Amino acid sequence: MKRRNFIKASAIASTSALVPQFLKGVNSTNIAKSREGKNLVVIQFSGGNDGLNTIIPYQNDLYYKNRPILGIKANEVLKVSDSLGFNPAMASLESLYDEGLMSIINSVGYPNPDRSHFRSMDIWHTASDSNEYLSTGWLGRYLDSKCSGCQSPHHALEVDDTLSLSLKGIEKSGFAMGNPNQLKRISDNKFLQSIVHHHEHDHEENVEYLYKTLVDTQASVDYLYQRSKLHKTKVKYPKGAFGKDLKQIAELMTADADIKIYYANLGGFDTHVGQKNKQTRLLKTYSDAMSIFVKDLKNNGLLDDTLIMTFSEFGRRVQQNASGGTDHGTANNVFLIGGNLKKKGFYNAAADLKKLEKGDLIYQMDFRKIYATILEDWLEASPTKILGKQFEKIII
Amino acid sequence: MNKQQRLQHLYWRSGFGMSPKEWFTKKNHSTQIVIDELFRKAHQFSKKKILKNERGIEPSDILMILKLDKKEKRRQNKIKIETYNIDWILRSGNPKESALLEKMILFWHGHFACRSKVPEWALKQLNTIRRYALGNFKELVLAMAKDGSMIRFLNNQQNKKRKPNENFARELMELFTIGRGNYSEKDVKEAARAFTGWSSNLKGDFVFKKRQHDFGEKIFFEKKGKWDGDDIIDMILEKRETAEFIARKAYRFFVNEKIEEQNVKYLARVFYDSNYDIEKLMRAIFESKWFFEKKNVGVKIKSPIELIAGMIRIFEVDFKNPAALIFIEKALGQVLFHPPNVAGWAGGKNWIDNSTLMLRLNLANVLFQNSELNLKIEEAFEAQKKNKQKRNVQASVNFTPFYNLFKRENEKLLLNKMGDFILQTKGHFKESTFENFIIKNNKEDLVKTMCLRMMSLPEYQLM
Repeated sequence: MKRRNFIKASAIASTSALVPQFLKGVNSTNIAKSREGKNLVVIQFSGGNDGLNTIIPYQNDLYYKNRPILGIKANEVLKVSDSLGFNPAMASLESLYDEGLMSIINSVGYPNPDRSHFRSMDIWHTASDSNEYLSTGWLGRYLDSKCSGCQSPHHALEVDDTLSLSLKGIEKSGFAMGNPNQLKRISDNKFLQSIVHHHEHDHEENVEYLYKTLVDTQASVDYLYQRSKLHKTKVKYPKGAFGKDLKQIAELMTADADIKIYYANLGGFDTHVGQKNKQTRLLKTYSDAMSIFVKDLKNNGLLDDTLIMTFSEFGRRVQQNASGGTDHGTANNVFLIGGNLKKKGFYNAAADLKKLEKGDLIYQMDFRKIYATILEDWLEASPTKILGKQFEKIII
Repeated sequence: MNKQQRLQHLYWRSGFGMSPKEWFTKKNHSTQIVIDELFRKAHQFSKKKILKNERGIEPSDILMILKLDKKEKRRQNKIKIETYNIDWILRSGNPKESALLEKMILFWHGHFACRSKVPEWALKQLNTIRRYALGNFKELVLAMAKDGSMIRFLNNQQNKKRKPNENFARELMELFTIGRGNYSEKDVKEAARAFTGWSSNLKGDFVFKKRQHDFGEKIFFEKKGKWDGDDIIDMILEKRETAEFIARKAYRFFVNEKIEEQNVKYLARVFYDSNYDIEKLMRAIFESKWFFEKKNVGVKIKSPIELIAGMIRIFEVDFKNPAALIFIEKALGQVLFHPPNVAGWAGGKNWIDNSTLMLRLNLANVLFQNSELNLKIEEAFEAQKKNKQKRNVQASVNFTPFYNLFKRENEKLLLNKMGDFILQTKGHFKESTFENFIIKNNKEDLVKTMCLRMMSLPEYQLM
C-alpha cells in the first residue's frame, strides 16, 4: 500500500467507524477517488479593483486627462504591448505574462451594471441578470447539477471561515475552511461525534439534512486535515493572509486532494480615498503570491491542469475623484492564468475611453461567457442548465 | 398533540419560542385565549414607537453629518445601525415585549427587504413597518412606496417624467405584491410612469415632486386612465393573485416551506375578502386545524435571528457586550437591516453550510461561555483568533424559572421531559448519547449541562 493510499484509508476509517451506514454521505469510494482532470482556482478581489490602474493604457491621452494625479506615468508602466502595461507593483505578474501563462480579458461586465458592492458581487456570484435575484451561486449550481465525482462536500473548497454565495447550491454547497487545525478542533467535539454515532434513522427531511451535513462536515474536516499535513511546499510564500491561502491551496493540490474548485479572497480594493498606496500594496501582494503559487504548481506538474481566474465585482470610474481615489464603476479586466491557455496575452482590445456611459466603461464581454466556457470546457458540465440561458463560449 | 406541544408550536411560529414563565402562566388557558392575548399584546406594542426615532433627524444633524469626513461618517453610521440591530434582536428575545409583533416585523423586513445608508431612515422604516405589521396590507404597501429608505434603495428618486426609472415599479410587482407571471413588461413601464416624482427629502420624509411627475394617461392592466402611484397599488391589490402571493409567502414563513395548495388558497380567500387585513390572515393561520398537524411541527429550520432570540428568551439572557451578537449574525448569514438583496433572505436549507452548521451547534456554548450556565464543558467552541475580544460573549442568565420546571423531575424521566420542552421535533437520541457529557454533581448542574447539550443537537435547529 502506498503511503498516500494508507492515509486515505485511515481518514475514512476514523470517521466511518462512528457513522451508521445510512448516514454516510461521503462514502469510501468517493473519498478515495483521486483527483481527476482539471482544477479551477477562483480569486476574488473584493471592493472593486481599479482595472485602469492595474492594466494601464499608457498611450491613451484620455486616460491621463481623466487622471491627472492618479494616472500612472508612462515611464513607470511595465509595458507588455504597444498600448498596455502592468501597474509597476506587478513585476512578478509581468513575468508570468511573458512566459505565456496569462490571458487578460478587458472590459468584462454585464448589461445594466449595478454600482453597489454587495449587489454587483451577488450578480457575479449568482450569474444573474442585473434585475434578477438568485439565492444560489454559479458554482453551487454546478455542484447541484450532479457533476461527476463531486459527491464529497469538499469538492469545492473556499479558503475562508465563511462560504461565499458563489459556492452555495440548493442541495449541495462548497466547503469553507479558513484553517484546518482550527476546524479540526471544533469538529473534534466529542459530543457532536457521540450524537452522530447514536443518531437513528429519521424520515423528516430537514432533520436528515442537518445530520447529513454534520456527518459530511466531520468526514471532510478529517480528510482535509490529513491532506493538509501530507505535503509541505518547498517554495517560500510571501507573508500575510493571501500568501498563506494560496500556499494552503497549493499544498492540498499537491497532496492530490479530492478537490476540484478552490476559492480565495483578497479584500480592500474600495479605494475612494488615497488609492495609490493602497492599490500598490494590494497588487503587489497579489502578484508576488500568485507568481510563487504558479511556480509551486509548475514544480509539481500541476500547472497545465489548473486554471486560475481573478475577478472583481466592478471596476472604477474613469475619472479620478477629489480625494486621490476613484469611485464605483462598471466593466473591468479579468485575469486567467494557467499552463495550458489557448489564447495567451490580451484577449481583446483595451477599454474604449472615448465611449463612456455616465463616465463609466461600457462592457465588451459578459462575464457569463467566461463562466460558460469554464463550466463546459474545464468542469465538463452543461453551462446552459447551470446559467439558465445560453452564452457564447470564448477561447480559454 | 398535548397542550404543551400546541403552545410551544404556536409560540415558536408566532414568535421566538416559549419561556418557562410563559408556560407557567398559560398552561391552563385554552389555545384560543392564548392566541387572542398574543394579538392584544401585539396591538398594544405596535402603537409604541421605537424611542430612538422620536426626535427624528433634524436639518442641524444633517449639517453636522456633512461636516464629518467620510470615514468618520461611515464609522458613526455603522455604530448606529449596529445599535438598532442589537436593540431589535434583544426586543425579539425579551418576553416582556410582543414576540408576535417582532416576528411580523421580521417577516415584513424580509419581504420589503431594504438597506439604508442613513441609520435614522432605517429606523424610521422599521417604525413604519411596526405600525402596519398587523394592520392593513394596502396601507403597508403604500407606506413602503413612500418610505425614504425604500425610495433610495430602489432608485425612485431618479424616477422622473423625462427619464423614468423602473426599478421600484418592477420590484413592487415582482417581489412585494403580485409576483412574476401576472403582469407584462408594458405594465412595469406604465407603473413606473405613475410613480414618477415620488421622492424623499433629507429627513427621509416623502416628497411629491410635481414637476417630475407624469400626469399623462397610462394603460395599466389594460385599463386606461391618468393613474398615479396610489391607483396602481389599488389596481394591483384588486387582483386576487396578490392575496395569493402574500398568503403563499406567509405560509412558507409561518407554517411550512412545503406548500399545501388548498391551505394557501384558503388563506388567500380570507385575506382578499377581508380587504387585506393582515391580522385576519395571521389568525386564519394560527386558528386553523392544519397549523397544528404533526407534519407542520418541528419542520422549519430556524433563521439565525429566530435561533439567537430563542436562546435569549428561554434564559432571559442579559448581555454585557451585546455587540458580540453582530458577529454571530454575520457568521450565521442574517444581519438585521442588511438583507442580501431586495428579495430578502432565502431561508430554509439556504441557512446551512458546513461553517454555519458548526457555529449553530456550538451557539449555546458561545453565548453562555461566560455565564453561570457554562460548567466548563471541555470541547466548547474555540473562539477564532481574529477579533477574539469582540467575540467573547459576556452574559448573565436567569436560570431559576427553567430550573423550577425540572427540579422535581424524576432523573430517569428528565431527559425526555426536557427534550419535550426544548425541542420541537422528537429527539433521536438515547440516554447513553448524553451519558459522558453531563455533570451529575447535583440536580442543578445536571439540568444545566443537559439543557446546554440539548441545545447543541441538530434537532434544536428546527422549530
